[in-house]
Parts: sequence; structure tokens; C-alpha cells
Amino acid sequence: MDLGGRGSVRASFDPAANLRAAGSPRAGATPITRDVPMTRRLVIGTRLARTEPRPPTVVVATIRLLVLTGVVSLIIGCRLVPAASAPPVAFGTDVRPLLTKLGCNSGGCHGKAGGQNGFHLSLLGYEPEDDYEAIVREARGRRLFLAVPERSLLLLKATGTLPHGGGRILAGDSDDYQVLRRWIAQGAPPPRASDPVVQRIAVEPGNALLSPKTHQPLRVSAFLSDGSQRDVTRLALYESNEPSVAEVSATGVIETQARGGLFAVMVRYGDQFAVVHGTVPFHAERSAVATQPPRTWVDGMLRPQWQRLGIEPSPPADDATFLRRASLDICGTLPTSDEVRAYLSDRRPDKRARLIDRLLERPEYASYFALKWADILRNRGAGYSTSQQRAGTSLFAAWIRDAIDANMPYDQFATEILTAVGTQESNPPTVWYRAVRTSQDYVESISQTFLGVRVQCAQCHHHPAERWSQDDYFGLAAVFARVGRKGGFADAEVPTSQTIFLADEGRVEHPRTKRVMRPQPLGGAPFALSRYDDPRQSLAHWMTDPSNPFFARTMANRIWGHFFGRGLIHPIDDARSTNPPTHPELLDALARDFAASGYDVKHLIRVCCNSDAYALSAVPNESNREDHQSFARYYPKRLSAEVLLDAFSQVLDAPTDFSGGPGKFPRGTRAIDLPDEAVPNTFLDVFGRPARSSSCECERVSESSLGQALALIGSPLLEQKLNAADGYVARLSADARPVTELIDELFVRVLARPPRSDEVAKARKFIESAPDRRASYQSLLWSLMVSAEFLFNH
Amino acid sequence: MPAERHSTQLPGGTITRRQLLQLGVPFLGLGLVDVLRARASAASTSRRRGLIVFWTHGGMSQQDTYDLKPDAPPQFRGMYRPIATTASGITITERFPRQARVMDRLSIVRSVHHGNAIHAPSAHWMQTGYFGPTLARNAPQKPSFGSVIARAAGARVADMPAYVTMPKSEAFGYQGAVYLGAAYQPFEVGADPNATDFRVSNLTLPRGLSIEAVRTRSAMLKQFDTLRRDIDTSGVLEGLDTFKAQALEMVTGERVREAFDINQEDPRLRDRYGRHLYGQAALLARRLIEAGSTCVTINTGYWDHHDNIEKGLEQQLPPLDTAIGALVEDLDLRGMLNDVLIYCAGEFGRTPLINGHAGRDHWSNCFSVLLGGGGLKGGQIVGASEPRGGDVQDRPVTPQDVLATIYRVLDIPLDLHLRDASGRPVSIVGAGKPIHELF
Repeated sequence: MDLGGRGSVRASFDPAANLRAAGSPRAGATPITRDVPMTRRLVIGTRLARTEPRPPTVVVATIRLLVLTGVVSLIIGCRLVPAASAPPVAFGTDVRPLLTKLGCNSGGCHGKAGGQNGFHLSLLGYEPEDDYEAIVREARGRRLFLAVPERSLLLLKATGTLPHGGGRILAGDSDDYQVLRRWIAQGAPPPRASDPVVQRIAVEPGNALLSPKTHQPLRVSAFLSDGSQRDVTRLALYESNEPSVAEVSATGVIETQARGGLFAVMVRYGDQFAVVHGTVPFHAERSAVATQPPRTWVDGMLRPQWQRLGIEPSPPADDATFLRRASLDICGTLPTSDEVRAYLSDRRPDKRARLIDRLLERPEYASYFALKWADILRNRGAGYSTSQQRAGTSLFAAWIRDAIDANMPYDQFATEILTAVGTQESNPPTVWYRAVRTSQDYVESISQTFLGVRVQCAQCHHHPAERWSQDDYFGLAAVFARVGRKGGFADAEVPTSQTIFLADEGRVEHPRTKRVMRPQPLGGAPFALSRYDDPRQSLAHWMTDPSNPFFARTMANRIWGHFFGRGLIHPIDDARSTNPPTHPELLDALARDFAASGYDVKHLIRVCCNSDAYALSAVPNESNREDHQSFARYYPKRLSAEVLLDAFSQVLDAPTDFSGGPGKFPRGTRAIDLPDEAVPNTFLDVFGRPARSSSCECERVSESSLGQALALIGSPLLEQKLNAADGYVARLSADARPVTELIDELFVRVLARPPRSDEVAKARKFIESAPDRRASYQSLLWSLMVSAEFLFNH
Repeated sequence: MPAERHSTQLPGGTITRRQLLQLGVPFLGLGLVDVLRARASAASTSRRRGLIVFWTHGGMSQQDTYDLKPDAPPQFRGMYRPIATTASGITITERFPRQARVMDRLSIVRSVHHGNAIHAPSAHWMQTGYFGPTLARNAPQKPSFGSVIARAAGARVADMPAYVTMPKSEAFGYQGAVYLGAAYQPFEVGADPNATDFRVSNLTLPRGLSIEAVRTRSAMLKQFDTLRRDIDTSGVLEGLDTFKAQALEMVTGERVREAFDINQEDPRLRDRYGRHLYGQAALLARRLIEAGSTCVTINTGYWDHHDNIEKGLEQQLPPLDTAIGALVEDLDLRGMLNDVLIYCAGEFGRTPLINGHAGRDHWSNCFSVLLGGGGLKGGQIVGASEPRGGDVQDRPVTPQDVLATIYRVLDIPLDLHLRDASGRPVSIVGAGKPIHELF
């Protein structure tokens, strides 16, 4: 904008600008934002508000702009301030955010360690003093030309006037250019302690209910320490967590896509964040709200969102599907034919709750969840080739399994691991300290495993999407500074069989300031400790306190994610203010309930599994087909490697031979009972058995691959089972009962449901017409076992 | 995710749902967009290029191969004399006469360095472009360039594996996909293509299972696999369906099995490549690239010649020379040389000074790699080592620069970032820049 040829003008929305709707919304209707075509726009007047004596001239004018649409008129106020007299440009609040906005200090450019072509900025501008040095002083000051700002290398490069590897990122006639130019013209003032700092930012609207294919501009305000407020919409950065639902432009305009769903837009300005929570209904609001009150409080907390999104839940799954689902989810085990028949003929109204109770008491429950925890706790076997080296792995595996079998309260479980001292024989959780050995390991494993947050970024720089700083990172590392180790043997990948104890000495320094860090919890004040206290005890206390904002929530989210196929926070160990839960009230309620139960994990599982939501069919209806966030149906999961292999063994009555590793395993050992991930088995590796090298559950791959498909078709392992001399196929082909009876049994055994009549007919025709009975049963079984119905829990 | 449900129009052509699935879509957001852009870019060139790698695990001596020092004192010089090549001014070892004949089509980078001298971290450097594991904790941390190529470019022809290793992947595990996921792991041939009974185990059915039986089973599967597909929108189910169809085609169909059937080659051509692992692997690699694979890595055994280096090199240099020389000639005759990049490297080179056991030890301050074809200039020397070979004298080149060069040839955008397990976007080349002298 140009004001009388006197240079550019800074225009921003007046905070008092208002939006007046002609008429009020219908009573009872949910206000929803839609795009309305603007039919007329006209400036209805500018008013000179105030002139101040020179020098310099300050003109504050108000332009009133009337936009007429069918239903809404909009009056926008602007304050125009001539550039020459605008307030001084501050490095911290003007220049630095601009460098971030333009991408100069991004990880791909000058922000990466080592910078780019000799020019290094701190990543995303978290070290303004260093950045000022780099821009103003380094390279003999040649980056700025104070006398003729336009000839500063900084501007010449950014505008592409001189060759610039990053291309032209700044237009010479842009307002952003003027900000930088004016800063240089003002003598490139450094950041000063007295400069106001941004204390928080706010984004409007914070919650948005938007139609598909509509636009919603955002407004971001920064609140400064001097009490002032400014509009930083243009300087803020925006990122949508669900671009398929809504995208956001660099200028802060949300554009919803054709489909419905939930999304969040992260807004970043400097080191401050704000989040917009958005909902785009799939369908117009449904008037037919469920007539029955929700049966459980979990269901009650899912429903409002279905209503907002305009979707209806799928109907409940049938009994056979539910039995298979719960058996696989709780015990990692297929139901047997007998279990299927007994369950289907059970007429008691509470049979689902009884089933869940029964499953939770089975040894397979402990095995299956111990496998999950051994992954998370990185109880590795690889790297320890002898059984002596690997004894610790087996001891820890057994300890985990016993703890789960005894339903050890989760706070105790975490505390015993976290504060372990002693030897692997006297106290197996000390084995956790074998895989977790460095400051980095401690901080990242604890954070991700028990607190559900990823702080990796903060090791080297301020987390770009969270409040975590290097202080948080190394303060938490200091908790473990006195973990002592002695003894053990060092002939393996990492030393084994060490004694873990509290050493007298040990410290962690901040890598930049070299300050010795005091032990502190994540986001909290340093612990008050005497030299006789183990800081890990304080951390465990802090963590397991029912008011802890992370601990119970993380486990509640983990368990929810296990059963519902997606965490309320997704991914489950990536809680951030910028990655909000889809159902915050539900997550809070689950966490509170879990803590109040005395951290009773079986209780938490019962709460999840006894909900109606868990029993919904996976088959979508018209309204919830596209939805993958609101649990209006069951989201299918591919059977994990161990579960799938065990399922083949169970169906074909032909156990897998596991050899190698820490010892010989007795015939009939199941894959979910293996003590570690290094027992050789190609099938398990191909289907995503994790290497246990990180505490992220995402290490277990559920993605499909060509290797998996090839393994299903030509795996010697599966072929051996189909050909086992005393296996199911052998018995089947020798069985004299009528074929239809055998087919019925076969379907129940494989798919945990009776066959449909068309399936019986097809199977019968095939079996009876085939010359080789045995081969035909093999073909039938194979086709059922590699069908999606078998490979997935649904 | 709508992008998964419909084909998405991109500047480089239409990305089908199936291609999207082959990408795997574990992380939403920028990662996917970047990968799509990468695919679009890779697809937009009229002829997508392929890559054949000769990996000299253990560390091949640069001073006895591509960077001889005939004027150095005998304890540095080594036992081989230099010979002239078709590229003026370039000499290489006398054990490389076949490459000498085609040196005008190959280039040598003599100034690669990364400064680590332990096998594991160094192999990680050269395979991934990043430092990472140490001797004590050697689990891979970053995806190999082959997996990055598989993810970013995919197979050149659908149904072919995008990334193949032979005879097997290198034992440290640094040729894998790590956080990119199992879908981008290399397809291991698993056998020596020079063996008379050469068979690809993954494509070979277990004893007693005939192709006919697989066809019957496959027909049965079609009848009984009736689960509704719309219950899963994550892409896993449809991905598995796609891979099952592809795998059945590979096992029962002709095309993929033919690509792997090296016996279809003229015996005289097989002779020219050399009747050994290196030669036949190179020939098979050419067949696979022709059929539609994108990256084929040949692992040429172990080159860790601490003792009696001459004995080791006498066994390994001649077959390597035959394989590379024949490959260049064969590609050139078929008009494929501009479409296939050839790359020969290991994790490091070897010490300029011969040790007390007549061997050379680990050396990463300055070593050589070979690049050729793929439209790169031939007959070039990039960089130089010091007169005795110790350090880079001129034009230092990093492992990331080498990878950037490879990605540029394959039209993979150098600003591509792929997300690791913590969701952090990781650049595929870091600070690497393509070696501009070769373009």
C-alpha cells in the first residue's frame, strides 16, 4: 500500500475491527462457517484520526471498508502508519520471526548444523544472540551495508539480485523487504534485554466448525511483555496436522477440503505456539440423535463428536466377530472352535463382559502384553550371541511377563524399572539400563515410554513444535547422571550383567552454556535433593503422582490405541500441544479413572473393551465411510508377526520350531512367548517384528510389503505346516465324516465363524471334484489363511 | 485420506492409488507430499534411470586400483604399475585392463573422505550419507540410498522389485530401509547367479509345491477372499492385496522370472562378463534394470586386506574389472549407458603405507569411488590425493556429495526429507551437493 508516495505503509487489522452479522443465527442451530460470495465491496470512507507534530510525521488513519454480501456486512478498520515514522524495528520481534517465516533458518538451509555456504543461523531462530552475530559481525560484517541498506548482501541474496543457492525468497517491493531494509537503515540494532518479549500468542478462531471447501482466515495476536499487543498474522507459521481435511496457507487462511474430519492447525510465532481445533462435518447435522442413553461413559464421550461430524456409528459387530476380535486384541490368540461354539450358544446378556474377564485371566494375555512391553523397553537379544550374555534378556522378559500376569500396578511397574539398582539376577529391571546407557537414551526412552512425548529435537535445539528446550532435555538427563555401573562382561554389543548403583558423583552439562544441570522433571522445577537421594526416586514420584499431566494419560492413550487401532493422541507417543487429542475429555477421563483405580491396567482394558464403541462393526455405513478419527466403527488391524505365525500354527496344529538364540525352545513354544527379538525366524522379520532399537511402538511395522506377500505364497514355513505329518491337514484328509461337516468345522477353526451356505457349496464342490483330497484341503486352508479376513482383526 | 482414494494429478503425470500404496503412507503431512513430489519428478523425465552398484565391503585399496602413486616410495607404491586408458591422462592399475578400454565412459572421484576408520560407522556413512552407529552399538540408524531410491522413485516398471541386492544384503544391515519401513527393504536375490543351480529363493516355491498348485490356490483365494475392502482406509489392506497380486504374478508369471533367468543370455555374452559371481551378478543386474528395477547392488565380498593384500587383490581385482568393463560395453551397445548409472565404492579405502603384514589398513581420509554412465561425463578425474595418498589435496568430496550426485542422476529432488520414527524430517543428502564436474 502506498500513501502519497512516501514509502510503504504498514497496515494491520485494527483489533477493534468487527464482524457484524445481519440477523442472528437460527436458535438451536450450530453456527458453522461457510464461504459466502462477496457481492459488493466498497470503501465507505477514510478518516484521519490523529496527526502528531513533526518530526516525524505520524498519520493514523482509519479506512472503513464495507463488504456487502447476501447476508453479512463487514466493516474493517485499518490503522495506517507511514513507514518512515514507524516504530523501530526490533531484532527479536520483527527480524527473527521474518527469518523463520522466509525459511532462512530452516533445517534445510542456513539453520542446519554447520549452516549453508558459511552462513549459519540457529535452527528456527532460537538463539537470537548468535543469529545477530552471524548477520551483523561474522564474515567481517560484509552481510550488511549500513550506509546503503539496499546494497546489503543479506538483501541482495534474499531477493536473488546476487546468486543465492536458496533462490529468490523475498520480493524487492514487499513489506517484508522493507522491514529488513529499515532495520539495517536504523543501524541494525541488536537484541536488547529491555526489548519486549512475546509472552504468548492467541489465534482466532481457536475452534472452528467449517463446511467442506470453505475458507477461514486466521488472526494471530502476540502479547508482549510491555503490555502491548500486535497482529502477527503475517509473520506466524502455520501447519495443518490433517492436510486431507484442511490445508492452511502461508498467510494463515484455512482451506477445508471436500471431505469431513477433525484437524488442528499449529500456529508458531517465535517460540510461542497456538492451535486451532477444527471440525468439518461429513454430513449435515443428523437430526436423528441416538434415542438410547449411552451405555458407558466412554460411549457418552464419543457421541458428541459423531453428532458434530454428522456421522452415525456402524451397528454392533456380531458375536463371532467380537469373540475373535477380543481374543486377538487381549490374548494375541485365535479362539478355538470349541470357544466359538460355546460363545455363540451362550445366551447370557453379559457374555461380552464375561468373555473379557476370562481373556484377561489367561496366560496368553500376559505373554502378549509382555511382548508389547519388551519391545517398548528395548529388551534386545541381538548383539548377545552366547546364552550367558543373553541371560539378562530372558530374566527381564520373564520379569515383565510376571508383572503383567500379576497385574502389577502400572505406577509400581514404571518405578521398579526407572529406579532399578542391583544385578540382573537380584533385580531383572536393571536390564533396562543395558540398552539405555547415555543421556540421550535416558531422556528419550523415559519421555517416549512413560510420558508420551518426543523430546529428541531438544537435544540440539529448541523443539520446533513444543515448549521443550535444551534446559528441559539436559535437566531430565541430569536425573540419571549418577547411574553407576560396575562389573559385567564387555564382550557383547554392549556390556552385559552389570551392577547398577547410585554413584557418588556424576553431572550433566548444558552443551551450549556449559552450566551443570540440576535434576528436574520435564517442564518442572529442579528437585530438592540431598547428596544421599537418588534423583530417579524423585522422578518416579513426580511421574506417578495422580496429578502428573503425562503418565496416566500416556498409558490410557497407549491402551486405547492398542484396542481401537488409533490413539486418542496419534501417534500414541507424540503428545504435543500442537498435536491435540481427538477427544480431550475422553482422554482426561480415562487417565483420571486409571489413576483412581490405583493404576490397574486390567481395569483400564475393561473400560475400553466393555464400551459399545469397541464392539462396533468394522463395516462402514454411508456416513462414517471416510472417517478414521472418531471411532464410529472398529478400525481393522493386520495381525502382528508373532500373532499371525501362532495363528497358522494353531489352525494347522503344527507348531513352529524355534532354534538358536538363547537356548532350545520346547516344541509348541509360541512366537508370543519368545524371550527376545533375535530368535531367528525370517517370517517374523518379514511381517514386521521390531529390532527393539527404539522405544517407539511405531518400530513394529504394520505396513504391507512385497516380501510379506511372497512369504504367504511360497514360505517353506507355511508349507511345512500344511504338510505336517500329525497336523490338521493330515487328520482332515483321513477323516471319514461327510465333507459338509468337515467344511463347517474348518471354517470355524480358521475364521472363527460358521461358513455361509454359498461358501459351503463352493468348498464342497471343490473338495469333491478334486482328485487329491489332501491337496484340495491344503488349497482351501491356504486360501482362507491368506484371505484378508484371516490376516486382519476386524 | 482422499489422496489415497483417487488418483492425484501431479505435474509429472498421474499417481495412481496403487503407486501411493507402494509408497506406504505411514506419516501424514509433509512427508507424503514430499514423496509424491519426488515421485512426480522422477516420473517426469521421459526415461527414468537405473543404478547398478558394485559394493566393495571391507574397503578396497584406492592406491592399488584407481589412484596409483607410481612415484611414491615403494612402501607406499604397492605392487601394480599404472596403465594408460582411453581417457587421456588417466591411468589405473594394470589389473584393470577392461576398464582401461572404457575409461572414456567412466569417471573417478579421488577425494572422497569421511574421517572414520571403523567398518560399521564407515559403511553407514557411505550407504546412508550419515554418521551413526559405532563399533559397540552398530544398529543401523538411517535408510540406505537404495531404500531412499525405492521410496522416492519406486520401480521403473510395476511388479519388479525397485531395489535388489545380490547375492545378499551386506551383513551389517546398512543396506536396509530402517524407518522407511519393510516395503523399502531390498529384495535379496539370495543366491550366486554364477552357480549352475542358480535360483531365487523368494521366487522359488518350496519343494512339493508346483506352480500349478499355486495357480489353483490363487483361484481359490479369489473365491473365498470376500471380506469387504472398505473396512480399511489405512491402505494396509489394499496394499497387501496389491502385493499379493504382484507376488503371485512374480511366482507364477513369466516376466519377473524371466528377468531373473540369466540362462536366457547368450553364453558368449555371459563369458564376456566373466563366469564368476561379479560378472554374472553384473549381467543379472543389467537384466533386472532392463526389466524395470531401479537400484541393484552387487556385494562383491570382503576387501579387508590387512594381511598380504596382493593375494586378496589378485583374486578380486580381475573379476571386478571384467564385470565392470563388460557391463559398460554391453550397456553402450544396447544404447542404455545414458540410462544406467554405474557406481563402485566401499566404506573406505586403505592406508597409503603398506603395513608389516604386507597389507593395508583402514583409511578414510582420502579414497576413490568410480562413477559412470547415467548421462554423466566420462573420462573425468575429480579431486586429487596428496602425492603419497594420505589426505585430500584438492576438491574434497563427502559421502553426501556422492549420494547427491546419484540422486541427481535419478531425478530425485535433493531437498527431499523423509520422516524418521520420531517424526523428524531427515534430509536425504544433508549438506551434500552433486559433483558438478560430472554433469
